Amino acid sequence: MKTSKAEFDATCSLFINSVNNYFRHLTEIDSELNVPYIKQSEGLVLKDYTGMIGISGNRKGFVYISADRHMYEDLIKIFIGIDDPSDEDILDMAGEISNVVAGNVRANLGANFMISVPVVFQGMPSQLKIPSDVSIYVIPIVWNNHEAYVVIGLQ
Amino acid sequence: MRLLIVDDSSIMRRIIEKNLKDYDIEIIGTAPDGHKALEIVKEKKPDVITLDITMPGMDGLACLDEIMVVHPAAKVMIITALSDKLTGLRALDKGARGFLYKPVNADDLANAFDRLLKRNENK
Repeated sequence: MKTSKAEFDATCSLFINSVNNYFRHLTEIDSELNVPYIKQSEGLVLKDYTGMIGISGNRKGFVYISADRHMYEDLIKIFIGIDDPSDEDILDMAGEISNVVAGNVRANLGANFMISVPVVFQGMPSQLKIPSDVSIYVIPIVWNNHEAYVVIGLQ
Repeated sequence: MRLLIVDDSSIMRRIIEKNLKDYDIEIIGTAPDGHKALEIVKEKKPDVITLDITMPGMDGLACLDEIMVVHPAAKVMIITALSDKLTGLRALDKGARGFLYKPVNADDLANAFDRLLKRNENK
């Protein structure tokens, strides 16, 4: 069954709050939200590095956060003081943000909102398949002058 | 105080390590999943364990069950993004001594370890 728009909007608000809290709490730099939109066309909105979380339980779908390398580099610099992180570090950072943002939503949606371990990738993997029966909501954000996308797909 | 850090994120393991360096704590190991963590627990019997929940293979709650069997004296502090109350209660019920929700900054870690170590002084 398709999620109603009101329910979908409410879920997206939870993710927006979770993203804002992540950046504010850890960096003391607020993220800015641009106008969210529902994605109609084929293809995914992706930056260089992405961390994706599968959602199961009483909701099904996915959430991912995708950003350019520079955003993850800035975060890693703040967190552990490394100036030139490896690709592995960048992917790890992408996965950890997605994990925290998705996991924090459970404060509101409860333990039946189940999340997977992060799947991380660089660029656009050819084998990545997105279910056709999900509504895809794109939330563009800017943190510390870096643009990123929070993308939520839920049945 | 001998500490084992368990988290599937290498960045997160290093964040914890960095922010606890001012404490009188020896980090005796790090692990990216429950299976590896359990090996280290059996071999080195750490006093304190920080334990993530969402990890590949054996997750943190399953690992906590096993830790409480093989090394029940370990003080386990859960550090997880799963911020629903039920998960926290489950972890405490299974024997965790502390619970911290990600995202965690330096102050969060310091406060949590202050509480944990102060509790230990009284035991």
